[in-house]
Amino acid sequence: MSKIVIGYSEIIKKTDLGRGNFIMEIAPFSKARNIKPGQFVHIRLPDTNVFFRRAFSIYDYSPEQKTIKIIFKVFGRGTKLLAGLHRGDRLDVLGPLGNGFRLPGRRETVILVAGGIGMPPIYLLAKILTEKGFDQKRLLYFYGGATRDDLVELKKIRQLGVRVYPATEDGSLGFRGLITGALVDVIDSRQGKFRMYACGPEGMLRAVDELAGKMGIPGQLSLEAPMPCGIGICLGCIKPLRVGGYTRICREGPVYEIGEVIL
Amino acid sequence: MSVDLSVEIAGVRLSNPILTASGTCGYGEELAELYDLSHLGGIVTKSITISPREGHPPPRTTETSAGMLNAIGLANVGVDRFITEKLAFLEKFRTVVVVNVAGAKLQEYVDICARLADCPRADMVELNFSCPNVEAGMEIAKSASLAEAAVREIKRVFPRPVIAKLSPNVTDITEIARACEAGGAGALALINTLVGMAVDIESRRPRLTNNTGGLSGPAIKPVALNMVHQVYNTVKIPVIGIGGIVNWQDAVEFFLCGATAVQVGTGLFVEPDAPLKIVRGLKKYLSDKKLNRVTELIGKVRKY
Repeated sequence: MSKIVIGYSEIIKKTDLGRGNFIMEIAPFSKARNIKPGQFVHIRLPDTNVFFRRAFSIYDYSPEQKTIKIIFKVFGRGTKLLAGLHRGDRLDVLGPLGNGFRLPGRRETVILVAGGIGMPPIYLLAKILTEKGFDQKRLLYFYGGATRDDLVELKKIRQLGVRVYPATEDGSLGFRGLITGALVDVIDSRQGKFRMYACGPEGMLRAVDELAGKMGIPGQLSLEAPMPCGIGICLGCIKPLRVGGYTRICREGPVYEIGEVIL
Repeated sequence: MSVDLSVEIAGVRLSNPILTASGTCGYGEELAELYDLSHLGGIVTKSITISPREGHPPPRTTETSAGMLNAIGLANVGVDRFITEKLAFLEKFRTVVVVNVAGAKLQEYVDICARLADCPRADMVELNFSCPNVEAGMEIAKSASLAEAAVREIKRVFPRPVIAKLSPNVTDITEIARACEAGGAGALALINTLVGMAVDIESRRPRLTNNTGGLSGPAIKPVALNMVHQVYNTVKIPVIGIGGIVNWQDAVEFFLCGATAVQVGTGLFVEPDAPLKIVRGLKKYLSDKKLNRVTELIGKVRKY
């Protein structure tokens, strides 16, 4: 049986988080079991002028209720259209797609880096690790945005019991400046074997990739790109690899080892 | 009442008239994870060239109104890997395999087709004379005499049916169609993408690194329908319709305009199982209309 499903689901809940951010809960999603953090769904919107599906990282899921949650920020035509839909509206959902994060070893200190709307896969990773009994003190959750309102669902992250390090460019919450600045400060003050996971804007990922490379910290990055098909047949969402050639983000990714892709 | 969806293209029987279009289904591996490819009338694999190609740098696809613009640049694994890996994979499916072939010059087409002649699983070849993203194909696509000579040369080395895929980016597509028929093509497939452009108004740069790309999707369907109809009225060989087909109603329009079969292209990106839905819809339509065979629809558009 296919690992991927194509089918209609319904919006069962939409929550406005402010500043154009929304959480949407979708059901039924028959593959809401063993979803890996980093995987995504591809949603078809009911408008032919928004022709392609849109990819959204899975933020949370419930195997019992057969539900998944996504978080998105209104950015272009697709997200604007999605934000205008309501509870009870049907969506054509394809997924789960892509490869998820590889979980860390028990003895490692895990550095999680989420930038703005790149938070869903990082949150899900933190949640799954805590559920699996990973020591919360060794889960360092860095969360950056332009301003404090960009740090959506901060309360839920804190509820996981992990160490949260917020950073805002305007200094409205936590470290003032870019997330990588906060990261360097904390890593310098700690000893141990680190593993890093990051998702966020490409500029942030490039900085994290460089920093982790310099510090010799292994880990993985979850990339984002406009994806016409989401299953690897259109060859549209590509990135160059350091070893040469291109990789399809939807198929071989969206999760890559640090240093693997040229960002 | 069961309806007969089978059609014949140049002596090759297809269980139904719905194929996937080249460049939109890879070599079938990804779609095979979603459904059994044996449900397809045929699969037209991604254009292959003699050597592997990486294609153009990103961004090489962008969304447009009711469609997309692409400049992938014929990224493919090259003929050797195609034969050993991709064609071998397709062995297990009961569907017609059409291998799309592209080249930088005529000799490259001939060399690839000569290699494919020894691969019985390559039921037919489709000649990509029309990719707007590489130079050489368009030269042949735009010249009736070159197209005729090319088909003739390839027919000498490939013993099974040869399909010529035509470009809409020409003055008169019927002229090229006639030339390909004269050269010995067993069928014609049309249309390939229309040359187009999209610009980012912030950076003031084109949205594709190649500057221009091929427009496809529902946006081009009316153009494709007209060209299929024109060519159907010009040649005796079967016409395979391509261009913006996303549902069974679209497919019926193409049959009425003269297509014997259709290929689903960009529609696969949005609905990877669209061919299966089209087959189901088509069966119901024929049954509702009390028609026994899909072939009864071909060319039956009633003109004013």
